[in-house]
Amino acid sequence: MGNMPGGMGEGGPPSDGRNGKDDDDKVKKKKKRFEPRPANRQGRRRRRKGPSGLNKTPTILPTSKCKLRLLKLERVKDYLLMEQEFIRNHEVFKPHEERDQEEREKLEELRGSPLGVGNLEELIDDNHAIVSSSVGPEYYVNILSSVNQDLLDPGSSVLLHNKTMSVVGILQDDTDPMVSVMKVEKAPLETYADIGGLEDQIQEIKEAVELPLAHPELYEDIGIKPPKGVILYGEPGTGKTLLAKAVANQTSATFLRVVGSELIQKYLGDGPKLVRELFRVADDLSPTIVFIDEIDAVGSKRYDSSSGGTREIQRTMLELLNQLDGFDERGDVKVIMATNRIESLDPALIRPGRIDRKIEFPLPDTKTKRHIFNIHTSKMTLADDVDLEKFVMSKDELSGADIKAVCTEAGMLALRERRMKVCQEDFVKAKEKALYRKKGNVPEGLYL
Amino acid sequence: MAPKDTNAVTVTAESEKKKETDPKKLKKKEDENDDSNLSEEDKELKERLETCVSTVLNEKNEANVTIPIRLTALDVIVNELRTATASMTSVPKPLKFLRPHFASIKDLYKTMENSTGLANDALEFRARLADVLAVLAMTMGKPQDRESLNFKLSGTKDYETLASKGAASKHAEDNLGSWGHEFVRSLAGEIGQEYNQRVIDGADLDSDEPFKDILAMVHVIVPFHLTHNAEAEAIDLLIEVQRLKFLLQLDSINEHNYQRICLYLIKTAGYMSDPDDLQEMFDTAFEIYKKQKQYFDALLVALKMDKLDEIPSLLSECEDVVVKKQMCLILGRHRVNYEVEDDPDEDELNELIGNEKLSEHFLKVAQDLDVLDPKTPEDIYKSHLAETGGFSRRRDTSGAQVDSARANLASTFVNAFVNAGFGKDKLMTPDSEWLYKNKEHGMMAAAASLGSILLWNVEEGLTQIDKFLYSNEEYVKAGAALAVGILSSGVRNDADPALALLSEHVEGDSHIMKCAACTGLGIAYAGSGREDVMEMLVPVVESSGGGATNFMEVSLAGLALGMIFVGKCDDTVGGTIVQRLMEATDEELDHSHARYLCLGLALLFLGQMEKADAMMEAVRTIEHKISKYAVIMLETAAYAGSGNVLKVQEMLHQCAEHLTEDAEHQMAAVLGIGLITMGEDVGSEMALRSFDHLLHYCELPIKRAVPLSLAVLNISNPDYAVIDQLSRLSHDPDSEISQNAIIALGVVSAGTNNSRVAGLLRQLGEFYSKEAGHVFCVRIAQGLLHMGKGLLTINPFHADRMLLNGPALGGVLVLLHSCMDLKSTLLDKSHYLLYYLTCAMNPRMLITVNEDIEWRPVTVRVGQAVETVGQAGKPKRITGFQTHTTPVLLGATDRAELGTEEVISVSNILEGVVIVRNNPDYVEPEDSKKK
Repeated sequence: MGNMPGGMGEGGPPSDGRNGKDDDDKVKKKKKRFEPRPANRQGRRRRRKGPSGLNKTPTILPTSKCKLRLLKLERVKDYLLMEQEFIRNHEVFKPHEERDQEEREKLEELRGSPLGVGNLEELIDDNHAIVSSSVGPEYYVNILSSVNQDLLDPGSSVLLHNKTMSVVGILQDDTDPMVSVMKVEKAPLETYADIGGLEDQIQEIKEAVELPLAHPELYEDIGIKPPKGVILYGEPGTGKTLLAKAVANQTSATFLRVVGSELIQKYLGDGPKLVRELFRVADDLSPTIVFIDEIDAVGSKRYDSSSGGTREIQRTMLELLNQLDGFDERGDVKVIMATNRIESLDPALIRPGRIDRKIEFPLPDTKTKRHIFNIHTSKMTLADDVDLEKFVMSKDELSGADIKAVCTEAGMLALRERRMKVCQEDFVKAKEKALYRKKGNVPEGLYL
Repeated sequence: MAPKDTNAVTVTAESEKKKETDPKKLKKKEDENDDSNLSEEDKELKERLETCVSTVLNEKNEANVTIPIRLTALDVIVNELRTATASMTSVPKPLKFLRPHFASIKDLYKTMENSTGLANDALEFRARLADVLAVLAMTMGKPQDRESLNFKLSGTKDYETLASKGAASKHAEDNLGSWGHEFVRSLAGEIGQEYNQRVIDGADLDSDEPFKDILAMVHVIVPFHLTHNAEAEAIDLLIEVQRLKFLLQLDSINEHNYQRICLYLIKTAGYMSDPDDLQEMFDTAFEIYKKQKQYFDALLVALKMDKLDEIPSLLSECEDVVVKKQMCLILGRHRVNYEVEDDPDEDELNELIGNEKLSEHFLKVAQDLDVLDPKTPEDIYKSHLAETGGFSRRRDTSGAQVDSARANLASTFVNAFVNAGFGKDKLMTPDSEWLYKNKEHGMMAAAASLGSILLWNVEEGLTQIDKFLYSNEEYVKAGAALAVGILSSGVRNDADPALALLSEHVEGDSHIMKCAACTGLGIAYAGSGREDVMEMLVPVVESSGGGATNFMEVSLAGLALGMIFVGKCDDTVGGTIVQRLMEATDEELDHSHARYLCLGLALLFLGQMEKADAMMEAVRTIEHKISKYAVIMLETAAYAGSGNVLKVQEMLHQCAEHLTEDAEHQMAAVLGIGLITMGEDVGSEMALRSFDHLLHYCELPIKRAVPLSLAVLNISNPDYAVIDQLSRLSHDPDSEISQNAIIALGVVSAGTNNSRVAGLLRQLGEFYSKEAGHVFCVRIAQGLLHMGKGLLTINPFHADRMLLNGPALGGVLVLLHSCMDLKSTLLDKSHYLLYYLTCAMNPRMLITVNEDIEWRPVTVRVGQAVETVGQAGKPKRITGFQTHTTPVLLGATDRAELGTEEVISVSNILEGVVIVRNNPDYVEPEDSKKK
């Protein structure tokens, strides 16, 4: 592809284009039927969202469960069945496969091969556009009528004919690969059952995130708008990310996960663009849950700064603000954010309307600690002398992650001694070790 | 090993509904149940409940556990169940803890169930136990068994026995609602199932006896729903048990909720498959409105049901003169020919029904909006804007390329449409020069255009037309006769000038005069159902033996009769037309105008559904290809606006054949799909999809009808997607498709001045500048687009898109059916049939008047209508509104609301002429006084 433009330098696609236009004019004089239908560019942005206006099924109101809704939905179904029957009848009458095959071959011929890949810079009218290939000049070229006009948009990747450079096709998947990576394809294994305690938190997040997607009519019935997003905050290791994973595991909605730092990009404007792209994809794939971990990476309070880097980060956050509660209505997109420094976040980011619910994750209490210990030790072979109560009741500030570390460490110790069981002593040592690390070399017991 | 506690949370609201959660799994959870993971309160609650259960069960049969003690224990359980507040996402805790005991309590109940002759307290115990079991069964019983309902029913029976023994329980009353909304809802669902089951088992539908027990429950549930803002659910339940009439006996319907109830009834009615159900729902809504003394709304429902015989009683029952006036205004808008009698304000009311002030109002609106200046056709064509490049240099000569007669004819029509109702124009009213620039039929159209220009203004119009009535030129005379008819379209006048002036011509000898007179009468009396007009036209239809010219008169008279008796199912008219069709020779039926005779017949049954069945059978016997066409027209007209899916399916079946000739009936079927689904949101959107398939798979004749069908779905409503589709079709290589698409563009945008369509049409005008037929179509479409300088609409739906105006739809159908054979109708000599559109014309204005029908400008908000049926609270009815001062213009999907508290409107629907009166509760805000 790289040396192609050079190779066809004098063949001159631009002149080709002009010839084409002259031809067009001649044809017009002879047979006016080929005149293009008038451009109707307005409304394109809107139509992008779904199949073109004539093809979608109607939205059904009211949204609450009632007979009227049922009857309307049944009506839609009836029509769809009729369409199916109609098409089936006609397909029997006139099999399309052969003709389709023929037409496809013809189309292939028109397209030619190999195909170039270019970038659509600007649409001039319905049949002409300016394209650029990865290297080299920009061309003013024809758009073949076989190209779906509705999908053409400035900036999209298009297929170009190898000689005339006219647009012969569109490369459909124009989402930023950065965003497509964020989509969680394989649900994480953690479920709500793997979370010790946190009942209130689970309930809140379910009400705010899952229920509006699954049962929007509940909110409609009472006449409120469901919350748009939640922020999870609390000490490190209290299960914020774990809960988000459980949500991802439970829901059938698209789950996009991002880490705040991913939104910081090398080039100016790339960060905000990524945010926009992220929410656009979320909207396309809706219902969607967007999980932004460690939001403090971009969402910290704004301050006057001369450094370009911080300013760029702030701009990224501003874009995020706009996407959360800006001019465009976001449909079925729910946002979950997680941070352990909520006090450093920009107040605009967590105002109601953007983030409606703030869910705190406290350090576990005794009951929860016991629960967490049970979860982590349930798959371990424990010696009879192990008394977990001792750890549960101790006054150390243990987070969920700490408890996991203790259990793992105890297992490691047992492994080191080639034992098949983990005994009490392992746990004691493991706990000391874990806490030693945590408290930064201040030996345990000094403050007791 | 998942601990118990978290399990609880995973049993979410959904699984509560999906009661069939795998029993084995549940068992396992119970087995794993170890108390250590429960919080203190939970543990306590659980223990308490368990003790209660064991007391209630009394398995050891201890003597000291008496029934009163057991009752107290039961009370504790009841109390816990009732007060349990859980989140939306999980099952209430008491329910969860009682789950393991459900089976044992059920067993206990079974042992007690069959014992008779129990003491009072034992009976009460049994009854209350049944209540508790009913609640438990809601989540634990098998859904298909309807256990919850069964327990409830046997419980009620016990309460009744108790009551009959004179020891009525205090718990008997607060029995349903106190268990919470969710319980009532699930019970209602089971009642519906039970009812159906009993019907299947052979219970008699009409008597209440077999359903006595469930109906008793329904009678409790419905008021409960109604008082708790769940109107939709209450109605759904009554529909399920087919006892809608029960609503009328209720006191809980009051001024706060009747509107929501009726709205739901009316909206749901359209989707009922059984016509009886539909009728019953409308009847119920009608009765409720009447009970609430909302006579205006009741009248709307009556008109929707086509029950014109209710009008007198409604008018006499209504005591408020102002409301009566508003009712008469809507009657006038709906073109109902009704005379008020025995009323103190008789004259004034009749004047309102007769639309006598329509012209005055319309002109005043025009004055207010500053559009009184007449426009020439050139103002509409705007050929100076043309950017034809190569062609434009010869612009001045380009007009000469087309034959000038047709160009002039087009200009006549454009002039007639654009200046319709204004009383002034630049071609016809100043002098009669323009008239003599035309020839023959052109002259006739030109003379007739006067009628359109002076529309609704009978007095002044007659003086202007009078001189042409006695012209020597036959065509001018005919045109003038037609003009008289057009003039008085939809307006009543005591002198009845149309009938007086036209009758002699109907009976006369001149062919062209006869045609004009018949058409004129059809336009003037459309929808009125006047017997005297019928008597005049019937002989014309019956006449025969005059070859093609005679048959043309016959068909036009038939069409006129159809228009006059639109939707009236009149036997004489129907009999006459079908008789004539049967007797007609093949040559006559081959005549292009035979379609109008069929259309007349079809219009007779417009919207009357199964009443057309007999006539369809009769028409089927005709041995000519036209019978197929006529049958389909009849069928589709009869179901117009009904959204009947079965009929749409039939029409699609008609389109399955691949015909290239004699496919008129297929065209009618395609148009019929539009006709049936129009006015019904879901159907019309789905129909658009079907049209895509038709265009993709079918032969030319069907494709030709698709633009017409698109037009009928969106009359005067230039929807973006439809315009887009039509603009694509208007460049089709098949000239008939493109011509139809062009006309359709005009119909879709009629009276809107839509600039997009204007641009499209201008381009089409240049594009087809060498093809006379196309140019004519483009001109007509442009005339339609700027109809009444944008103040008119031809949309047959009015009153918040609830009522379908028969004459208006008829007028549009004449145009669309003519489009099926443009060459021999509109593009030939029958172009004057275009004037049938005047029947559909109506100002799309909203003006507010005081009690004496004098102008009173108020501020209103105008915005896009929003569907509000079945929503909680008082939802906004419009979106994206702007505030204006009346008069304002309303688009097809617009809706208006009063923008001030100062006045209240008499009708809920702000359209056309609306009477407002001072709001007695209005307090002027403080700060505005300072200004």
